[in-house]
Amino acid sequence: MTGIITLSDQVMFGKWMMCGVALLLIAGQARAETIEEKVQVCAGCHGENGKPVDKTIPTIWGQQAGYLYIQLRDFKRGDRKSEIMQPIATQFERDDMLAIAEYFSQKPWPDLGQPRAPKDVAARALTASASVGCPACHLDRFQGDGTVPRLAGMGRDYLAKTIADFRSRARGNNPGMSDLMIATSPDDLAALVDYLAGL
Amino acid sequence: MYVKGLAAFAAAVGVGLLSGAAIAQEVKQEKQSVLGNANVPPVTQEQLNAADKNAKDFLLTNGNYAQTRFYPGKQISRDNVKNLHVAWIFQTDVKESLETSPIVVDGVMYVTTSFSHVYALDAKTGQQLWHYAHKMGPITVYCCGPNNRGVQVLGDRVYLATLDSKLLALNAKTGEVVWTTNIADPELGYSETMAPTVVKDKVLIGTNGGEYGIRGFVRAYDAKTGKQLWNFNTIPENSVGVWATKDATGRDMHRNIQAEKDMLAKIGDPYAKLGGGVWQNPSVDLATNRIYFVVGNPSPDLDGSNRPGDNLYTNSLVSLDLDTGKYVCHFQYIAHDVWDLDAVSPTVLVNVKDKDGKTIPGVIHAGKTGHIYVHDRKDCSLIRFSEAMVPQENMWVLPTKEGARMLPGANGGVEWSPIATDPGQELAYAINLHQPMTYHVESSAYPNGKLWLGGAFKVIPSEKQSGNITAVNYNTGKIKWQVKTPEPMIGGILATAGGLVFTGEGNGKFAAYNSSNGKELWSFRAGAGVNAPPSSYMIGGKQYVVVGAGGNTQLDYKRGNNIIAFSLD
Repeated sequence: MTGIITLSDQVMFGKWMMCGVALLLIAGQARAETIEEKVQVCAGCHGENGKPVDKTIPTIWGQQAGYLYIQLRDFKRGDRKSEIMQPIATQFERDDMLAIAEYFSQKPWPDLGQPRAPKDVAARALTASASVGCPACHLDRFQGDGTVPRLAGMGRDYLAKTIADFRSRARGNNPGMSDLMIATSPDDLAALVDYLAGL
Repeated sequence: MYVKGLAAFAAAVGVGLLSGAAIAQEVKQEKQSVLGNANVPPVTQEQLNAADKNAKDFLLTNGNYAQTRFYPGKQISRDNVKNLHVAWIFQTDVKESLETSPIVVDGVMYVTTSFSHVYALDAKTGQQLWHYAHKMGPITVYCCGPNNRGVQVLGDRVYLATLDSKLLALNAKTGEVVWTTNIADPELGYSETMAPTVVKDKVLIGTNGGEYGIRGFVRAYDAKTGKQLWNFNTIPENSVGVWATKDATGRDMHRNIQAEKDMLAKIGDPYAKLGGGVWQNPSVDLATNRIYFVVGNPSPDLDGSNRPGDNLYTNSLVSLDLDTGKYVCHFQYIAHDVWDLDAVSPTVLVNVKDKDGKTIPGVIHAGKTGHIYVHDRKDCSLIRFSEAMVPQENMWVLPTKEGARMLPGANGGVEWSPIATDPGQELAYAINLHQPMTYHVESSAYPNGKLWLGGAFKVIPSEKQSGNITAVNYNTGKIKWQVKTPEPMIGGILATAGGLVFTGEGNGKFAAYNSSNGKELWSFRAGAGVNAPPSSYMIGGKQYVVVGAGGNTQLDYKRGNNIIAFSLD
């Protein structure tokens, strides 16, 4: 890497700034009453229209409610690390988290416009998936259920980062996932990222 | 190296580079209950006690309290089964893994689907009488699909256990909820997929969660009120056992007993998060008032380093007193399991020959190891084990970080699939998987109800998989016949007095075989995986065979939503 700042770096920086401004707004919203007030902060990063402002940020519109709740719970507990999410989640009690999770789960899943994986990549991904049994939890067509997230159509960069974080155990709130990712080869995981993003 | 690769890949995918329409498919089913009117008389305890002789109904998940899955009717026989045809097909609202055992009460059939739906159907026509769509809580945690294996009826109530770990009584006529009880907290990894067994006004239920660090149990609830009557922890506070070094068949399991003893001194008994789910129904010995069931794997599955001892009563046959839930006896197949080769297929009560050739009350279980184990019902002791029904290689190599190959793979052998028996022929019929796998170990602390595998079991993609249907003489342990299938088998099997066994495959084939020699006599293609146990019943002098064809999540067999009934002209 060189020190040259590219146009896309500037775009990325701008998006993170917007995200940060939104977070500052939150501080004054700690006493938000309605669900709409409570979720106002989320759009700053996760997107006004459900499309995250940065590709390493997950899609939460249309995500499984149980999964969203568990992540908020884990951010608050510190089981999942995030300097951005932890202070937000800390404001919420269990009922708030459940309500927020339900709110976003009812939103339509956004189309991020990611291309389908080529056939050979898809075939490799499906073999890798069958080997460790991904569909046993993420279900048919990777739609997820309950506390297991939908992966189909999730942002490619977020998928790649998350898998990498599971593999290094930087993401520590699901050691079972870490074990499965560690047991799968990097090339197979790269194919899975392409495949899942394009579903 | 991998992280770098992914990071570089991620950096290369710029914001504007992505194009093309993503296809985001929504499959979640949001259905409402439909109340109805099923004209069904109350089921008495006497009827349930005599279910093994009743060819009209199919009253219990596995046919009767002994769980023989031997249907006493013989209208459909070896001679005429070739004429079997579809009587009706009912399409459920849920196209997902179907593991239900249909039960039939006086012309009314009760079936369940994934996500804990229940349907009452006219068993003659397949017409829906009512539909209970469970309003699932947001927290569900399960390892192997959102399955449900069925319900049972006592009196005028239908008993259902749900994925979000509740126990319900429904009105058998209308589908209305009579009472609901919370069994355990799904946020800690508990879920329900099994059918309850209801006997003497007690609803018996186990729990899933062996992949999540639960403490397993079997409980009895009052059938009238839903109040808990007794609880048996499948993991006792002293779970250490006898430091067994050999499995039930006498093979060395390569335990490092000293390292375990050192760990025990350091951390104490690990019973509180040790797993021990109970996946399937207990069998009930009405004469002695005892129940018999098997207990599943310890948590975490593949990493034994933080759970010193035999991990009682994981991977064991256990017997309790029905009235009190007090322990009677147990037999452990694999102490300190690190392969998830646990005990899940339901127990069966049959009379067996002991070592002296004397006929005694026995209890048998088909293991993921591929053996059928034959026990003395009095003290749970092992009389014999069968020849292996699947290839066994490299047992018991310990899991490694890189992965160690061993057969059978972690699904078995015999998975949760119930076996059938034909006491007249002294045969047990089991469906098996052959899935070569590598076993990988990783260590991590208890993750608060999250998936806790302690590693991974990986199918080896380059090695051929298969399945088989095997008939074993449980009085000799010898295999009498075996039919190979192209894919690993999961679901269940039914034997009938017509000299037949019925079972299905993941590729949609549902077939009848001569129960004496395994010759295929009839088959049907269902269009989706037939991975559920068949049942049989009679209406108006006509015998029907019914089975669910909905595929399977665990093995990713093609999903469907059909309940298919067959009969002769």
